[in-house]
Amino acid sequence: MTFRNPTRRSTLKMMGTGAGLLAAPSIIRPAYAQENVLNITTYDKFLPDDFIDQFENDTGIEVRIRLTDDQGKQYNLLAAEGSDPTTDIVTVAGHRLSQFMASDLLQPIDPSRITTWDNLAGPYKGAPQLIRNGEVFGVPLLAGFEGMVRNTDYTKKSDSWDLMFDPEYKGFTTYIISDFLSITMKYLGYDGDFVSYVGKPEEAQAATNAARDFLIEHKDMVRKFYDGGSEMQQMLVNEDVYVAQGWSGPAAKLIMEDFPVELSIPKEGTYGFLYSFNLVNHAPNVDAAYKFFSALLANPAVGAAMTRQSGFASAFGGVDKLLSDRERAAIALPEEQIARIQFFAEENRDMKNEMIDRAVAEIKAA
Amino acid sequence: MRLYMKNPQNVFLTGFYWAFVAYLFVPLMLMTAMSFKDSNFISFPIDSFTMKWYVQVVQDEQFLSAVGYSLMIAFIVTVVATAIGVWIALLASNEAIWGKALIFALACLPAVVPGMIQAISMRIFIRAIDVPTGTFAIILGHTVHAVPFVVIMAMTRLRSMPSNLVDAARDLGADNFIAFFRVTLPYLGPALVGGMIFCALTSIDDFVRTFFLGGYQTTLPMLIFAKISGGMSPEINAMATLVLIATGAIGLYAERRVRRSRN
Amino acid sequence: MTKDVLAGSGQGVKKGRTRYAGWIGTLARSPLYRGTIGLLAESRVARLAALLAVPLAWIAFFNIGPILQMANISLLANYPLMDGDEPVYTLSQYALFFQESLYFMPFLRSVVFSVAVTAATLIVVYPVAYYIGKVIRPASRNRALLLLLTPFWAGEIIRVFSVIMLLANRGAVNALLREFGIIDRPIPMLYTYFSLSFGVVYLIALYMLLPLYSSIEKIPNSLLDAASDLGAGPLQRFRRVILPLSRDGIVSGCSLVFLTTIGVFAAPLLLGGPNTVIFPEIIAQLFHGSNDKWPAGAAFSIIMLLISLTTVGLFVRVVGGRNVKLM
Repeated sequence: MTFRNPTRRSTLKMMGTGAGLLAAPSIIRPAYAQENVLNITTYDKFLPDDFIDQFENDTGIEVRIRLTDDQGKQYNLLAAEGSDPTTDIVTVAGHRLSQFMASDLLQPIDPSRITTWDNLAGPYKGAPQLIRNGEVFGVPLLAGFEGMVRNTDYTKKSDSWDLMFDPEYKGFTTYIISDFLSITMKYLGYDGDFVSYVGKPEEAQAATNAARDFLIEHKDMVRKFYDGGSEMQQMLVNEDVYVAQGWSGPAAKLIMEDFPVELSIPKEGTYGFLYSFNLVNHAPNVDAAYKFFSALLANPAVGAAMTRQSGFASAFGGVDKLLSDRERAAIALPEEQIARIQFFAEENRDMKNEMIDRAVAEIKAA
Repeated sequence: MRLYMKNPQNVFLTGFYWAFVAYLFVPLMLMTAMSFKDSNFISFPIDSFTMKWYVQVVQDEQFLSAVGYSLMIAFIVTVVATAIGVWIALLASNEAIWGKALIFALACLPAVVPGMIQAISMRIFIRAIDVPTGTFAIILGHTVHAVPFVVIMAMTRLRSMPSNLVDAARDLGADNFIAFFRVTLPYLGPALVGGMIFCALTSIDDFVRTFFLGGYQTTLPMLIFAKISGGMSPEINAMATLVLIATGAIGLYAERRVRRSRN
Repeated sequence: MTKDVLAGSGQGVKKGRTRYAGWIGTLARSPLYRGTIGLLAESRVARLAALLAVPLAWIAFFNIGPILQMANISLLANYPLMDGDEPVYTLSQYALFFQESLYFMPFLRSVVFSVAVTAATLIVVYPVAYYIGKVIRPASRNRALLLLLTPFWAGEIIRVFSVIMLLANRGAVNALLREFGIIDRPIPMLYTYFSLSFGVVYLIALYMLLPLYSSIEKIPNSLLDAASDLGAGPLQRFRRVILPLSRDGIVSGCSLVFLTTIGVFAAPLLLGGPNTVIFPEIIAQLFHGSNDKWPAGAAFSIIMLLISLTTVGLFVRVVGGRNVKLM
């Protein structure tokens, strides 16, 4: 009866309650999922202000940027947020991609929804590093590799990772343990990316142990195990180390500044990776993200800005023309060295991570 | 600094104090010197000097808004954490309460948990109780971390407080509340100032909790960490120098006012 | 000072009827306040409840809540859970800690390191706190403290990099030594236990300074004078009077420094070397290494938490003695 003939008072009451219920979440919940918002977690200066302003003007979408400094924290934040993320796009480095994927934190993208997909430089359209089970994960931004960095004033030229173990530089080397362990495996003739060890855990363990023991034996070479690129830069600049295993980006930035530093890829080879913008699983603003990707790839100036900030080579077409000679020279390497880069594969990640992590702890504790 | 009396021990202590001052200041003076370096990386020697980093920082809206945001958070955190911390200290120092030791230990928990673990567990926790990330969550996270410092500082002082002080006030007709405001709180004074300094410092300096609990507004440490990951540039030193000068000036001003109001 | 306070609040007071000036007076006269106080005065339960409510709620909710989350994760076999996964509970993460010297040794190293740093900080900071609290005139104290406080506002990471600029091979110290011809090759000082300790003391000296100062400052001068009059030398005076009376400050300063040091990561670790790996680094690796193991990381944090709190508890008991009612 009351339903059929509502009194004025009961109606008002119901409306009030309804409005209150509807309003409550929006009062306490900031608008992560509003229509015209896009949330991006990325590095400082990757996205130039004028590009963001232009995009906001063109589309009416408000871009909100959270700055990150580290892949691990970015991963932990996403993992803690679970199925209710506050970010739409994250910036993932290729060697971490499998970790994000294993925890189900990313969703594939549909290149056909990105109108400017063809503006990617040749090798990066459908780069195998970003493809999993036939689906594309992420828009490639930058390409980097783990190079050998040396101070040219104090060290001799070398085309081999031998330099990292040369007694002459005892106490003057540095590396990221997990990265360099893979390289050491390669250096000793094993498969540092574990692709050929599928289903062969004993063989993999033996190879890992060999590299581990080699590094422990040469632990007195090491000045410091580092984590971040800026640490390596500072150690080279302060002459605390003369030889380092380092990512190409931070090393290239030192070269741009005319420090006596050389970056090379030794003959035993090394590993390469891509930085990419990735779409977060359960992202609240997928449509806005696609508009953003389209605008991004249409604009080589953004690629140039990223290269200047990070020192890595851009995956966008037409960026080269926007760089200065010095910037281009810092990034360029001879063809024969480039050919030595092997990109991280997607198979057998669990075994690799498990064994490498354990060996890292053992090297640290030794 | 004028001494009560000159004797060999005091001369030694004076020397020791100034050596300690040097220990604290010399590294920072190096940092400040670096902020004038005309290069994208900090290193010795400094070949050419420039003011460009300061010009850039002063005009940097992101920096200014980050400073303002960090200050606002630190202020609220300090007020809330001090109130709660004193309250807990009163409870844990009350003779009549059973389980004081346990209360104290639990109150100190957040000071022991490494920052990143606390940040992650807090992030999962606020999700469980449906508090969204953002300013409120940052303030909550910082306050939780800051309270133990107030508790420890306040209890150090409370324990040495003659209990007859409060009794005397009560005999004179003050109820518990008035006795607290008129007797206990003034007695706590120096310890509370110390506690508040800890609160403000830990809040302004906190990076990892802010990163996990914050939204899309940047605090000062977030900005600085993000900049460092692109290379340690003199720009960061210029920022730090400006912050130092500002806090030094505020401190001096406050000290003057306190001294004047006493006279 | 306390005399003034009492005199102030006691003016014109008759038993049972209070008259105050200012906001306290306004508050004291308001009916709401009177009602509350009346209730509190009548009922012991209400009094206890008022004292207990906020602290207990705060502690239960925000101190214990997140830790329980961690404890929960530490018991899981896997985390983060995938959509649709059923959680599996296990104690194996805790067993791991005790089975593997890999984790146990860095933990011991961490405890020893933290104890050493705490002791070093105490020795360095005590004279400074004593100087400010007792040697200089009271009017100068705030300025002397302020001078020491200022550097701490530069931020942890900046201060770490400033230590690097001081101790690096091309840092200020080596540059000076080379300038004066004392050495011709730089002395490697960074990335050693020396630089790590130097940096950690540099970062946390304040946590020792403020508690020490606050307890030394309140030692009555009359006691010191009396000791001198009775013929006590400076050393005896320090041992028999000053040290026992500043025990509160020592206990809480050491607790703060120890607890902070044992949990440090990030910035200070930038100063350590290949042989100074300490426990928080291991935990950090478990959380954001490429093969993250949150359950193990959570379990290790909880073990660290329990052991460090127990250590501090024992320390307070032993050093604090009977008179200390901290715990």
